[in-house]
Amino acid sequence: MTLHTALVNTEEKKISSEKANEFILSEKNGAESIFIGRVRNKNSGKKVTAVTYDAHDQAVIKSFQSICNEAKGKFDNNASIFLEHAKGYVSVGEISILIAVSSGHRDEAFKVCRYILEEIKHKSPIWKKEHYIEGDEQWLSGHSLRPKEEIK
Amino acid sequence: MKIQLKLYGLSKMLSDKEILYIELPNNSNIEKLRSVLNKIISEKYLKNNLQNLSKTAAFFSEADEVINDNYKLKDKELISIIPPIGGG
Repeated sequence: MTLHTALVNTEEKKISSEKANEFILSEKNGAESIFIGRVRNKNSGKKVTAVTYDAHDQAVIKSFQSICNEAKGKFDNNASIFLEHAKGYVSVGEISILIAVSSGHRDEAFKVCRYILEEIKHKSPIWKKEHYIEGDEQWLSGHSLRPKEEIK
Repeated sequence: MKIQLKLYGLSKMLSDKEILYIELPNNSNIEKLRSVLNKIISEKYLKNNLQNLSKTAAFFSEADEVINDNYKLKDKELISIIPPIGGG
């Protein structure tokens, strides 16, 4: 198996890079690229304490699999990909997304990793609500999935 | 007729429950739903940064496919509202 995708419910477990490293390890692949996204403590001048991620579970998993298979088709069919995204409450410093890729060569490994990250931001139905130090919170704006020709 | 709207992201500000029931004229389509939603938001939720939601949201069928503005809704149909996304 060369593809693992999951939404990780943060009430049940945390995303771990050890599992990812183990999954992508292959004697056929000489390059590994790992992207880890963490919740940072500041955004738009406000002090952030945590982010809550909401997701349309079934559509997210479908989109993850489709994006990863597209990435393999574009760059390296032999790539191994491990992709997990958090769902639920994630404190500052904790992992929100982990993409690990092993591939034959470094260029493909970098490209697959980057492609997956950018596509997720534009295709996977996931939302962020930031929690601030003052006690308030806000859903962040994002990318509309409504067909462009319909938006007047 | 009445449809069931499953709420995600920003749209969760419309209700404390996961599903919002919306009354619509028979044979309504998504375009009509947008207009009713806009009215609900204008009357109650302008303070909550929801002004553009009815315009920018997409809608998913139960099969998790985007449905366009001409899609005819059925009584008791369950659809999802998909506000602009931003994971990663």
